[in-house]
Amino acid sequence: MPRWVTTGYLVYLALPIALLLLGSVGDAWMNTLLPTGFTTRWYQDVATDPSFRRAFVTSLTVAGATCAGVLLIGFPLARALFLTRSPALRAVARVVGQLPIAVPALVLAFGFVRVFSSDVLPWLGSTGLLIAGHVVLGLPYFLQTVMADMERLGLPRLEQAAESLGSPAWRTALHIVLPALRHSIFASLIVVAALSIGEFQFSNLVAGFLNRTYPVVLLQAFYGATGFACAATVILLALALTASVAGAFASPRAR
Amino acid sequence: MAAESTAASTDPHAPGNAGKAPAVEVRGLSFTYPGSGQGVQDIDLAIAPGEMLVCVGPSGCGKTTLLRLIAGFLQPDRGQILLGGKDQAGRPPRERECGIVFQSYALFPTMSVWENVAYPLRVRGVGADERRRRALELLTLTNLAQHADRMPGALSGGQQQRVALARALVFEPRALLLDEPLSALDATTRTIMRAEILRIQRARGIATLMITHDQDEALSMGDRVAVLRDGLMMQFDTPQRLYDAPDNEFVAGFVGRANLFDATVAGDGTLRTPFGAMPAAAIAGAAGVSAGAVLRMMVRPERIEPAASAENGAWSGDRGEAGTGDRGGVPGADPSGTIWPVKIIDDVFHGATRRVTVQVLGAASGGASPEPLVLETARRSPFDRVRIPHDAVRVLSSNAPASTTSSGA
Repeated sequence: MPRWVTTGYLVYLALPIALLLLGSVGDAWMNTLLPTGFTTRWYQDVATDPSFRRAFVTSLTVAGATCAGVLLIGFPLARALFLTRSPALRAVARVVGQLPIAVPALVLAFGFVRVFSSDVLPWLGSTGLLIAGHVVLGLPYFLQTVMADMERLGLPRLEQAAESLGSPAWRTALHIVLPALRHSIFASLIVVAALSIGEFQFSNLVAGFLNRTYPVVLLQAFYGATGFACAATVILLALALTASVAGAFASPRAR
Repeated sequence: MAAESTAASTDPHAPGNAGKAPAVEVRGLSFTYPGSGQGVQDIDLAIAPGEMLVCVGPSGCGKTTLLRLIAGFLQPDRGQILLGGKDQAGRPPRERECGIVFQSYALFPTMSVWENVAYPLRVRGVGADERRRRALELLTLTNLAQHADRMPGALSGGQQQRVALARALVFEPRALLLDEPLSALDATTRTIMRAEILRIQRARGIATLMITHDQDEALSMGDRVAVLRDGLMMQFDTPQRLYDAPDNEFVAGFVGRANLFDATVAGDGTLRTPFGAMPAAAIAGAAGVSAGAVLRMMVRPERIEPAASAENGAWSGDRGEAGTGDRGGVPGADPSGTIWPVKIIDDVFHGATRRVTVQVLGAASGGASPEPLVLETARRSPFDRVRIPHDAVRVLSSNAPASTTSSGA
């Protein structure tokens, strides 16, 4: 019985992906259970489509910038939250950790739309704002992973040891703490990148016409040819899968 | 005042060489953790150049707080910390030049052994070749040169400890601070590391403060020992004096084992103990104390001498008519010691010694259950009497009858 359930679940999980793969190389898919013929033209179409090309570049740019932003804000923040003795700040850290589950990206997007469509802060539709939103969405994952690693590392003692040996704070961070945390930082940044690349809810509302991310443009594809939509989706899937695999390789050493 | 840090020390290990400027000096140091009563109060101590000072006490006594204050991780509420004669108020740990060995070693995980040791030199701008040379020199001293290129994670606890020690010494700090350095090691390694730490400390001739909760470690390693309890200094003395002449009951009980009991000075010049009477005049600290005073007394277990009644005359100064005298406890019977007949109630074998708990027969305990006396002896044969030499009895404190109502119990 349990084996049946497992098999059923895996089929349920894999079927859409398998159909997408088939559809992306099928010549025609009309009124049949499975597509017929073989072609690579859908992939060529996607590759030459200007809006998809732009979206692909935008997505990678936004993901990269989001990772940089998360690292720049996240590392000092994680350290401060980890080392603080203030119960209030510790509570804040816990709440922030739960944020991605408790607050849907849609809520954040509505907030951004509200605030940044005003005359004072007219930044709605800018790539910078898109990145800022992705940083907010990705930060909790980074904080949780890296703070857990700080605990494992015994960060306070390590920093005190360095300080007693005459090391200034910047030197301790650069030469001792960051290298020691590199696995967890790398692993969580991959999660953040994957999150940013696949993010739809927030990006759909906040992105402007010229800086739409890949998933946002992808939605349009489903109004056109099926094969084209399948091929475009498979590309996104491949991107996400690459990130997951990289993350899986990085995380065991980040324990 | 004039003494510089390079003062030639002829005998750096001699405890309490007061003439020399101390390497570390703490005056009236007080600190309380916010929101709790814990901390340290009015601590005074000094560490001479080359001296090993061990600070010992139960957990929560403030010993680690003291180390953190000296290292600069905490700022005192009151008092002064001087390193090499210079006041350290407001100076960050980075500028205090104290080599610290943490309980968890705190080695840098991404650096090799020699890079760890060389790190203090690197932050001081020492060139790469010189760094490696000096790191290897220290690793040779700590017997780790062959592991110089390993990563710290690949070393055993004792080896990591040596790396931490080398790293804390390589930049020639003013003082070495060891925070419970042995507590994370297994028993065998701990014994080896005790000797190793002492050897290295002597070799570098560096003033050292070691924190421990282990009184055995304190006695065997310290030139002087500071005993702390609830943030207060209970006694600051040589290990021998701590053991032989504790200032108070806490030190007596914490350092080694002790029989502790109250005794009342009677009008007839005898000292009434829970075990029997003793001549007050023969006991230092009890002579001349006015009648009615209650004294807190101590006798170390290994100072109590066992004997069988058949062995009369075994003790020098045993009274002449010993053969008939089974009236143990009669004061004055033996000018240098008091003899009591006993019954053995517990006997634990420890290899080299036995720890025997006895009850003194006919003890004048006035209805209360008679207190047992613990003694430690290498003797294997049975015995039914004990002798307490009068110079083994110490008066720890006295309650003069002047203010308190002395109801002789």
